[in-house]
Amino acid sequence: MASFLVHSAALVAALAVLPQLVGEFWAYTLALYFLYAIAAMGIGLCWGQAGILPLGQSMFFGLAAYLSGLSLIHFGDSWLLLVLLPASALAPGLLAYGIGVLVFRGRTLTGPFFAMITLALTLLAFQIANSWNDVTGGFNGLKNIPGLPGLSDFTDLYYISASALAVCVLGVAWLRRAPAGVLWRAVAENEQRVRFCGFAVQNVKAVVFGISGVLAGIGGALYAPQQNLVTPQLCGFILSADLVIWAAVGGRATLYGPVVGAVLIGILTADLRDEISWWEVILAAIFIVVVLYFRQGLMGFVEPRFERLWRRAAARDIESPARPGAPDDTGFALDDVHVRVDRVRILEGLDLAVDRPGVYCLIGPNGAGKTSCFNAMTGELPVRSGRIRILGRERTGAAADVLSRIGVGRKFQAPSLFPDLTVAENFNVGLWGGRARLADLVRMRSHRWSSAILREAQARFPFLAEEDRRAGDLSHGQRQILELVMVLIAEPRLILLDEPSAGLSQAESREVVEAIRWVGSRLQACTVIVEHDMTFVREIADRIFVLHQGRLLASGTVAEIQADERVRAVYVGASA
Amino acid sequence: MDPILTTNILNVVYEVSTLAVVVLGLAVVFGLLNVMNLAHGEFVMIGAYCAFFVQTQDLPFLAAVPLALLVCGFIGLVVERILVRPLYARPFDTLLATWGLSMLLREAVEAIYGRGFRSVATPLTGSVDVLGAGYPAYRLLLTAVSIALVAGLVWWFVQSATGRRIRAVVNNPELAGSVGIPVTALARNTFVFGCCLAALAGVMLAPLLPVNPTLGLDFILKSFFVLVVGGLGSLVGLISGAGVIGGVESVVSAVSDRTWGYSTVLVIAILFLWLRPNGLFPRT
Repeated sequence: MASFLVHSAALVAALAVLPQLVGEFWAYTLALYFLYAIAAMGIGLCWGQAGILPLGQSMFFGLAAYLSGLSLIHFGDSWLLLVLLPASALAPGLLAYGIGVLVFRGRTLTGPFFAMITLALTLLAFQIANSWNDVTGGFNGLKNIPGLPGLSDFTDLYYISASALAVCVLGVAWLRRAPAGVLWRAVAENEQRVRFCGFAVQNVKAVVFGISGVLAGIGGALYAPQQNLVTPQLCGFILSADLVIWAAVGGRATLYGPVVGAVLIGILTADLRDEISWWEVILAAIFIVVVLYFRQGLMGFVEPRFERLWRRAAARDIESPARPGAPDDTGFALDDVHVRVDRVRILEGLDLAVDRPGVYCLIGPNGAGKTSCFNAMTGELPVRSGRIRILGRERTGAAADVLSRIGVGRKFQAPSLFPDLTVAENFNVGLWGGRARLADLVRMRSHRWSSAILREAQARFPFLAEEDRRAGDLSHGQRQILELVMVLIAEPRLILLDEPSAGLSQAESREVVEAIRWVGSRLQACTVIVEHDMTFVREIADRIFVLHQGRLLASGTVAEIQADERVRAVYVGASA
Repeated sequence: MDPILTTNILNVVYEVSTLAVVVLGLAVVFGLLNVMNLAHGEFVMIGAYCAFFVQTQDLPFLAAVPLALLVCGFIGLVVERILVRPLYARPFDTLLATWGLSMLLREAVEAIYGRGFRSVATPLTGSVDVLGAGYPAYRLLLTAVSIALVAGLVWWFVQSATGRRIRAVVNNPELAGSVGIPVTALARNTFVFGCCLAALAGVMLAPLLPVNPTLGLDFILKSFFVLVVGGLGSLVGLISGAGVIGGVESVVSAVSDRTWGYSTVLVIAILFLWLRPNGLFPRT
């Protein structure tokens, strides 16, 4: 918090003295590029944090500029401006959020598709702005837009832009540090894990896109009174492209990168475009070099040094809130479940039921349908027929984030976590899932949450207490354990673990067995484990289910299964 | 038949077949290298400028063909080496890098020739009577050449040894490499080939287009939309995609105006990107 206040004071002071240093002409030029910088920050937030590249940022900038221009023309000296101008800035945000909800709903669109949709939308927006003469003034645009009432001087314009920039920079700085920022970076790295932590990823992405729309909106709404002219080019492809280049060259993943990029390149361009005819070519070459070799951009060389100061894990001195409303029922039941992908039959009438707490192992030869059984339960594979009950209700085909919120946790076969986040941030995403309300996601104190299971896990596995380490730097076995703990600290009632002991040493494996037993009995949970390692199975299983060719072949205690002729036949390859 | 209808039908066929040539180059590169070359349209643009250059030198129009192939082939070779190859594992960055390349080429041409529109004289003037409708001879020739080009390339791809190798690499690059197919060279040649195809289209279309540095932008967007609508699976997809995009644009433009034609294409593309991102004929 202290560092945030220092940062704020320094920023405000710098922006306040700048006009004295550079003179009135440059202050006026800066005032324009500050507005672009705000819009570029939105791209930084989407692309550098959440990993979704919007190629249509100018659509929102232009929309806000038209709205604010029309407001000023028609209600230039009315008090209504106090409502209309903020509304012009917010409207693009709502539009962006709406687009985000529609586009991201129900599907994980890969990056390029989203980028191309926004690009196509921007081209459409240009066509509308260019041809809807009655409202937008067509090709010539809106002319003679009055300035903001009560302002006259060029320096006034500067201070308006600078204040907007300061507010936006500090707001974005806060969001980046808050849980929301961690969540966005987590989405960029591993969407699936975020979903299995209980977050509706499509909403997370739509929100960040909406915020970036508001940032573009603020820039656009102030553009109209400052430049007194709004033309269709503001919605056009070229401005969108420029904003992306500025964010990339300045450093998309950094706070100040988009600002530095917009101001530096923007002003250099304005100054050099006419003097050096090859300037735009040089700029394009610089952009290519950045994409190829310096993905972090200019500020990428500077900011991470400061960032390390505040990214240090906070002391966990607040007990995390209890998970709300997990159902009392335990267990699950698969009833005649069929799964097919194209013509390949994966599950062929699987019946499997567990109705009391305990540890259950799922074994079977490769291709028996063990992982597919998990995938069918958590909605990763479409179920063609049959029904799946989970924690007391039928939830066939329910989405992973919904299941996670009611108390289903799943660990994947290959460790699925957030390699570029710290161990602390990995834990936090696990803790916030299902517990954090919207307000908790913008509060710094949520970084300090702790829980009994987390403390116990850190005592059992001391490396988990080194929370500042990058998760990707851990060994394979350590990552397996980290993912397991992320699943367990969400306190699920149904725990699905896919080969939790793969890649562990014998000592680690024993520790994992104990930890699973301890958490399972504490939470009164059903733990289902897919496992090949029979030593591990013998140690942990209360009951074993054997799958073969997509059906249940046998079930029973370890001894019963070992004595079962059919199971032996399957494993040695004889026909059953 | 009504001469106006005939003219419109010929326009649609012309639009679709020339678009198919441009898309074919883009699709071959994407299919094999998984690289969406956003600078593809700029190669069309450079091809068109080659035609313009040849005209300023008082050379015959056909001299533009070897010139464009040479220029774009060379640029393609360099680009593949320094820009595409290092980014194979990062498809998203390839998109950005080729997009940067498109800006670079566009701005470079602008720095040389300026922003103004240039026109290239039609090498074949006059019109031909088709079912009672007079249709420009050059357009007719172009339609025929485009259809022949696409058909010939597809035939070659299906039956030649190189075509088989390419299909093997598309299917499984590692296995193809391990049985002795020179994957790197094949990838390079394919990229260069795609660029040359775009350049050829640029030369052919130059007399019918207002030649200017931003001309490539329209082509890359339309080609991309064709791939989105048609899907990346097959020739059928490519042709139906070109049919939908080229057909809709020319029909709506004929009924209303170009703004509506273009906007309709954009809306169709957005709907496909959103609701059916794998297109009509997805790759299996």
